[in-house]
Amino acid sequence: MAALQSLNLDGKEYNPVSMDLHHQISQHYFLEARMLQNRQYREWLENLVAKDIHYWIPIFENRYSKDKRPEPTPDDPAIYNDNYDELKQRVERLYTGQVWMEDPPSRIRYLITNVEAFQTADNSDEFMVYCNFAIIRHRQLLERTEHVGGREDRLRRTDDGFQLARRKINMDARVTVDKNTYFFA
Amino acid sequence: MNDMDQLVDIENSTQSKKIFLDQDIYEQEQERIFGRCWLFLAHESLIPKAGDFMTTTMGEDPVIVVRQKDGSTKAFINSCTHRGNKVCSAESGNARSFVCNYHGWVFGSDGSLIDVPLNERCYHGTIDKSTHGLPGIRVESYRGFLFGCFDQDAPPLDEFLGDFGWYLDTWMVGAGGGVELIGPAMKSILNCNWKVPAENFVGDAYHVGWTHAAALEVLGGELAGLAGNQADMPYDDLGLQFTTRFGHGFGVIRHAAASIHVKREGYDKFLRDTLPAVAENLGQARADLYDGHWNCTTFPNCSFLYGTNTFKVWHPRGPGQIEVWTYTIVHKDMDEETKKEIVKQAIRSFGTAGTLESDDGDNMTNCTHTNQGRMTRKGRMDATMGIRHEGHHPVYPGIVGSSFIGETSYRGFYRFYKEAMSAESWGDIRAQDNHWDEAWKDNGFWEAKAGKGE
Repeated sequence: MAALQSLNLDGKEYNPVSMDLHHQISQHYFLEARMLQNRQYREWLENLVAKDIHYWIPIFENRYSKDKRPEPTPDDPAIYNDNYDELKQRVERLYTGQVWMEDPPSRIRYLITNVEAFQTADNSDEFMVYCNFAIIRHRQLLERTEHVGGREDRLRRTDDGFQLARRKINMDARVTVDKNTYFFA
Repeated sequence: MNDMDQLVDIENSTQSKKIFLDQDIYEQEQERIFGRCWLFLAHESLIPKAGDFMTTTMGEDPVIVVRQKDGSTKAFINSCTHRGNKVCSAESGNARSFVCNYHGWVFGSDGSLIDVPLNERCYHGTIDKSTHGLPGIRVESYRGFLFGCFDQDAPPLDEFLGDFGWYLDTWMVGAGGGVELIGPAMKSILNCNWKVPAENFVGDAYHVGWTHAAALEVLGGELAGLAGNQADMPYDDLGLQFTTRFGHGFGVIRHAAASIHVKREGYDKFLRDTLPAVAENLGQARADLYDGHWNCTTFPNCSFLYGTNTFKVWHPRGPGQIEVWTYTIVHKDMDEETKKEIVKQAIRSFGTAGTLESDDGDNMTNCTHTNQGRMTRKGRMDATMGIRHEGHHPVYPGIVGSSFIGETSYRGFYRFYKEAMSAESWGDIRAQDNHWDEAWKDNGFWEAKAGKGE
């Protein structure tokens, strides 16, 4: 059973974290969701995001199964491909008071599920965490959009709690059905 | 037929609000604009090798574009000649043939019908394969940009682009090396009429300072002064606006090419290094525009920002919806690092999560759907900014407006829109070749401006 619960990646096996740690990590993800829901973007960035973050939403194409072209890398065009300063700029834009589309503000709900966490190495403070999300945004009176996907995170334990060091977001929809994707998945 | 005189008033530069949300008008557009004009398909760099294909749409018609063995490009309708199913569902790839999922008809990469299962046994040999190929579409390339056209009577692509092509050459081939598009495209649905973003890109520098105030404030750079329209700026000295024969138009903000890009050293250097070659190859008039920022629309639905380097196609999906495709333009001669940085910066500003793109959605949608209201749609829209501050220019072809913030190219866009919607055929349109610019004839604006020593 252990083999099934571990993660096999590029020929290496990664063990799941302890139940206690899994609980702490899950709680951290719910905290993060709550912060984003409350539009506490500055607090989120400052406290929950590591300075060496790579925050990435690749673009994929619908191709035939036999098409062997490689998966996208951070060198390819990407919807988000941000470092810390670039994320900060996106956050700060939301505080200018001039983002007319966010006034009246949209309501954005994060449903975070299927949290799986793995040790990167024995005694390491970095973990590989996978989870699924459904992000539902209500805007104006009747606008409702939904973004479903999965995160592949690198989470780091620090003295001040967990921090996000890498996040790859796999959006399931090829064609975005929304006016923009200017939110933090 | 719709009353085009009522819908578009050229003299007073107003349009009926009905043009954004009316099924009959949309149907007529599909027939007379999308069925007639050259429509952007792909860039050659996206399908470099024999058998490389892309699927796209022209209007709402599904199309496959395929690189042939001889290096040429063919395009055909992506719908089986048997019962109409799509024969290709992938967005891109490399294929020797396309097999319909429904009954297994096989089409070659040139669109010809190669195989029909049970042709002998059950059709008894009655299917004539030579008349059942996928319907072909005219394809021509301008500087590597592939366009398709359904109308055999349309002028060749380079004539259709006309003076607009003369301007595009400034950066498409000015320094010699040419440009290419980087994909895959971002794709998104926006509930707006296709003309709203098309007119926005053709000539709306006006909205930049207000709609995008937040982004300009955070990004800084040369355009930050536009934020909130607060600064007292000499707008007439900062740029120009242009419109040409078949509705293509653009505006230029001088010396502001990469101003939206936060990281831009490589791009700035490239522009500086290549500027002398543009002057040498094409002359000073175009070299003067080379390091400017351009907002452009190729009539009807292909728009781009040279400088920011985002490249958009507004695929119509009914009167109230479009599918937006977004690529990035780079110069082929740039080093790989500079290309990568430009792709990143262009998407950062005008991708689906772009710092500027994210401001536009409500404007586009609401300009369209407020016209669901019966009384609202009886109203008119105004595009008079800079009217009569424009005309034939002593140096630049087409019609030139005195400021990059103005609606000269709106007027040109809707002038040709009306002409195309009214015409029975390309013959009618070509008959106007010597009269299209009557609205601006001999108004002497630029001569008077020169006389005043401005």
